[in-house]
Amino acid sequence: MEFIWNGIWQAADLLAHGDHDILVVVGTTLRLALCSTLLALALGLPAGLALGLGRFRGRRVGLAFANAGMGLPPVVVGLVVALLLFRGAPLGGLNLLYTLDGVILAQTLLALPLVAALTAAAVQALPAGLLEQARAFGASRTQVAVLALREARVGVLAATIAAMGSAFAEVGAVVLVGGNIEDETQTLASAVLVRVSAGDYGRAIALGTILLGLIMILAASLTVAQQHERRALLGRPS
Amino acid sequence: MSVSEPVLRARGVTVARVGTEVVRDVDLELTAGEVVVIVGPNGAGKSTLLAALAGLLAVERGTVELRGRVAAALQAPALANRSARANVEAALGWWGAPRGGRTERALAALQAIGARGLADRPARALSGGEARRVHLARALALGADILLMDEPFAGLDPPTRAELLYDAASALRDSARATLVVVHDRAEAWALADRVLVMLDGRIASEGDPATVFGNPPNAAVAAFVGFVGRLEAPDAVRLFRPQDVALDPDGPLSARVTRLVPVEDGVRVELALDAGRLVALAPAPGPRLGEPVGVRLLGGVRFPRQPSAGRDVRDQDTPPDL
Repeated sequence: MEFIWNGIWQAADLLAHGDHDILVVVGTTLRLALCSTLLALALGLPAGLALGLGRFRGRRVGLAFANAGMGLPPVVVGLVVALLLFRGAPLGGLNLLYTLDGVILAQTLLALPLVAALTAAAVQALPAGLLEQARAFGASRTQVAVLALREARVGVLAATIAAMGSAFAEVGAVVLVGGNIEDETQTLASAVLVRVSAGDYGRAIALGTILLGLIMILAASLTVAQQHERRALLGRPS
Repeated sequence: MSVSEPVLRARGVTVARVGTEVVRDVDLELTAGEVVVIVGPNGAGKSTLLAALAGLLAVERGTVELRGRVAAALQAPALANRSARANVEAALGWWGAPRGGRTERALAALQAIGARGLADRPARALSGGEARRVHLARALALGADILLMDEPFAGLDPPTRAELLYDAASALRDSARATLVVVHDRAEAWALADRVLVMLDGRIASEGDPATVFGNPPNAAVAAFVGFVGRLEAPDAVRLFRPQDVALDPDGPLSARVTRLVPVEDGVRVELALDAGRLVALAPAPGPRLGEPVGVRLLGGVRFPRQPSAGRDVRDQDTPPDL
């Protein structure tokens, strides 16, 4: 047990003294999580709305794919993205292999089904007639979509938490697409992997503790926001 | 556009749901300033017709011509999770009202329907009657040329319904707007309507002012729906009677036997068996005894000659009721 406590103290010490390597890897992790989550939301919210509310051929198949996509193995996604980004491959011209942008692309693909499927489920659970009534009062498609997202915001926040959580925890795609390059594409999760491989358990625990702390802070913030919205929806004082 | 020119004209409208035609060949006109009420039993196609006129459902056959903008208040209030005033303002936003005047218009509409005090209450905290008031207010706030309302009083307890009905009866009067209201109840139609349409089995079965439609139905099916629950058979005709058309009178020309007694607010509802059929009368409590023979006098009713070839009873307008 003692080496775990030592690792936690080491984490506090590294953060307190502003260890350059730690700050870089924390910055990389945050950038990956924020960028991939924002991209997944930008693409996944419209997709989720379409899958949840649309009336088009193939909607159920799309919904099934989105649900199945929530369980995509990150290593397989990382492998496919890496193969597509190799020089000479269809996306090789983008020069994204072994770059953080490439990792963000892979992580966006992993988070996209989460956002789309959870958003679709949330808007499908809205009270019957809410959106139909908006249409009957002249609402445009965009206005109906905004209303649906606003009314389903607790579910949308759940999708955001899931997307961000998966970005923090991601290792496979980071290693395969980003190469796990120190100071460039290495994230907290992939740095833990490297330290464990090198037998440096103390630093691995320190990095893991920082990663857990970050996840707790961000997830807690989003959860507080989510529960605030839920209380507002239920008409209870917050 | 002249004042009397219809703002909505439907011709031969047929609407299907899941492959089944539930509205058939409906002709309908609405003129600015009038309130038209559609009544009919469950499953008659009233709500489907309204949705089709609002453009929410595709018309299978026929045409709907509109002169002006149409808004439809659907049956469920379906308020968004925000305050009552914000709900009305949101509807104004969807309608395209300028942002600047939305708050004033929302408050004015809430005031008109007696819901000004609810303006800042969250929708979740509203009772069923209050939510319906807010729903009605946002429909009125839009200032639509044609307003369609589906069962605006559904699901309310009788006192709440009566209160909202009387407020709505005055709030819906607007010389610039044509209003079509689907209701379930004849009392609601009496309170609201300039003109009543009775819808049965997907078709308009009767049309006219409330006194004509409810007092002088054109056929037995409409009569049965509008409250002519007593029925006496004759070889050449069917006679139908409302409870107020039947009086218990020991000196009455007809003999009947009491088959059921049901206490009601004003006395007792008495069901009577006669050789030619059955009648329903209202009597002061405690009323006659079950099984007791009583005399009956008929005070009104309608008569429909039998038309076997048509397969149904059709009112003979030239023949006065055989009383």
